[in-house]
Amino acid sequence: MLNQRRFVISAAVIAAAVAYLVYAGIRTTSTYYFDMDEFTASKASHDNEDLRVKGWVRAGTIQWDPHTNQLAFELARQDGTEPVNVSYRGILPDMFAEGREVVVEGHYGQGMLAAKQIMTSCPSKYEPKPGAETRAGA
Amino acid sequence: MPELGRLAVCLALLCALVSVIVSVRGALTRRGDLVRTGEHAAYAVFGLVALAVVILLRALLSHDFSLEYVAAYSSSTLPTNYVFAALWGGQKGSLLFWSFMLSLFATIVQLQNRERNRELMPWVTATLMTVAVFFLGLVTFLTDPFERLPTPAFEGADLNPLLQNYWMMIHPPSLYTGYVSASVPFAFAIAALATGRLGDQWIRSTRRWALFSWFFLSLGNLFGAMWAYEVLGWGGYWAWDPVENAAFMPWLVSTAYLHSVMIQEKKDMLRVWNMILVLLTFSLTIFGTFLTRSGVISSVHSFTQSGLGPFFIGFLLLVLLTAGGLVAYRLPELRTSGTIESFFSREAAFLFNNLILVGIAFAVFWGTVFPVLSEWVRGVKITVGPPFFNRVNAPLGLVLLVLMGIGPVIAWRRATPRNLWRAFAWPVGSALVAGVVLLVGGIPFGGAWVAFVGGVFALGTIVQEFWRGVRARQAMLHESAPRALGRLVGKNRRRYGGYIIHVGIVSIFVGIAASSVFRIEAQQTMKVGDEMRVGRYTLRYDRIDSQENGHVARTAAVLPVFVDGRQIDTLMPEKRFYKKPKQPTTEVANRSTLREDLYVVLGSYDPQTQLVTIQAYVNPLVVWIWLGGLILALGTAVAVWPTAAEREVRVVAPAGARVPVE
Repeated sequence: MLNQRRFVISAAVIAAAVAYLVYAGIRTTSTYYFDMDEFTASKASHDNEDLRVKGWVRAGTIQWDPHTNQLAFELARQDGTEPVNVSYRGILPDMFAEGREVVVEGHYGQGMLAAKQIMTSCPSKYEPKPGAETRAGA
Repeated sequence: MPELGRLAVCLALLCALVSVIVSVRGALTRRGDLVRTGEHAAYAVFGLVALAVVILLRALLSHDFSLEYVAAYSSSTLPTNYVFAALWGGQKGSLLFWSFMLSLFATIVQLQNRERNRELMPWVTATLMTVAVFFLGLVTFLTDPFERLPTPAFEGADLNPLLQNYWMMIHPPSLYTGYVSASVPFAFAIAALATGRLGDQWIRSTRRWALFSWFFLSLGNLFGAMWAYEVLGWGGYWAWDPVENAAFMPWLVSTAYLHSVMIQEKKDMLRVWNMILVLLTFSLTIFGTFLTRSGVISSVHSFTQSGLGPFFIGFLLLVLLTAGGLVAYRLPELRTSGTIESFFSREAAFLFNNLILVGIAFAVFWGTVFPVLSEWVRGVKITVGPPFFNRVNAPLGLVLLVLMGIGPVIAWRRATPRNLWRAFAWPVGSALVAGVVLLVGGIPFGGAWVAFVGGVFALGTIVQEFWRGVRARQAMLHESAPRALGRLVGKNRRRYGGYIIHVGIVSIFVGIAASSVFRIEAQQTMKVGDEMRVGRYTLRYDRIDSQENGHVARTAAVLPVFVDGRQIDTLMPEKRFYKKPKQPTTEVANRSTLREDLYVVLGSYDPQTQLVTIQAYVNPLVVWIWLGGLILALGTAVAVWPTAAEREVRVVAPAGARVPVE
């Protein structure tokens, strides 16, 4: 049964390797995901961190320069309160518009979100389908 | 008419329930007439669900906007082929469609087994119909596609423009076919556990079904990737989002099963493991349907908050507890005596392949549910993105690629040094040569290099197998080379079909490695006449081209493409503005060659200044991924094709001349 034991050990080694990869992967790549309420409550303690925030594009705050592809807007709660400034450079997602629910992924610092990626949901009356969302950024 | 559809669904639910009860009773009392009655009830389920599907399709085609479903997912201007897509484009329709596929497969299984597997069949029927009861129950009580609007709509809201694409015509049906047909091996596994007939019989009876399910899962995943690549316009084809993962996980476990099952057939080992893989594959298909419908995991996708989640979780728990309980109950009988003798053996290679496939599935599962888990445990939602999945899965995938070269050719039981030399001298040699050539050619050592070299190695073993098989036939039977090749494959379809599938997988690996490591990206805002460079290409912005009809308005940038000052093509990336659901979409312009794709997106367009922003990517070898899918399909066809040669007398190879015989 020596062989049997050897195989149990090697299986355990593979399992441990997978577990380690998962553990290390999560440690180095995970980010917080907040909705606007959670973000408002805890943003003071997340200064200078990468995170994802879900909120609404506040009406009347979108500034878009087609020459430089520079975008600025305010991300807020659905009623427009507790806004935070977002800056982004790149192509706008198709579904990006005032009042839309978006997820901003980026770096939070000095009271501003520097977005690396903006994800927009499809309007809710549509069914989700695999990957049915638009992306921008890398 | 719609009322008739609803009635058909209700009756189908009733018949499915009857079928379950009568089949189980028939099995327990060993009464053949009850078993037959159970099967007849299942046929009725198929007839009724098919009727309901036809009625819904008719409502869609005749634009009956008094139905909530028709009004929500189609319109009178929707092209007819997309009206078919609307059948599965919405949640309610897709669940009905799912029930339809399930009852169709149940019917085929029963027809196949009218005279065979009589001990197993009542349990198979009961299991499949239990799944049908679940889905038909959802359709009847929670997601009625025949629901009428209080007042008929004048016009429909139309199908989401993102779904108005030919890939959406074939991607969901492929995936559903793969998902739903996984219930057949599951049902046989449950039947084997229930009856205690735990030998090979249930496995042999469902071999083709398992391959069928795996094949459609493969296609579903690939079509989904193609759709994302062509429609979403972000330059990639796979983003590790929960919905993609939902389809990927059962594929991984199903792949593991297809391999480990060979060990059971040859060596009568791993019975428990195989049982677990079949049960896991099915559970993951249910989990996948749950993911796409519940909105639990990702709030990026606006999954309809339909309240279906708890029902899926409940059903999943039922499946896991029942199956787990049965396995535990039969555990003493499932245990086998075989042991693996050496690390250098085919058994060991297959076992490691299995562990890694399941390991990848686990990593994907963990990454997918991590936000939910972290919220439960720590009260904060923590997400992981593509970097996590890439970092974890790339090394595991590369090991798998190498194992794919080792597994099929290493000796059973224990490989001798002579044996290893014979099997691996050429493949390893060619891989080393390829490695040096790549280094000299400017491919640095790294993930992509390992993938290419591993691919050459795996390919080398396969070519060697074909070569030796053909040579042996030629030497013994004096056949011409093409004839020898044809007969070699024809007589060992499963084996050589599997090799061909491996060639497809190597191609996919190479395409993924090249396109993720060596991709070039550029973005530029241009006025008319400006040029931009990406890779070896120069794009010039000539003019804007606008067209409009009742359904959609298009704006395209006309971009001649130059290489070394010579024009080779003109690309026209578009923005489309759909009228009905007022929504812009991006139409990618893609110039695809074997070497690389030039993938161009019209990022933005300003009508006043005529300024455009162009996002361009050069994605090397992407076509190899799709070609790999094609090769995979060919290999599967070879492997499953029924053949008279299976019955022919096997060629007996004299010592030294090895003719692969299975």
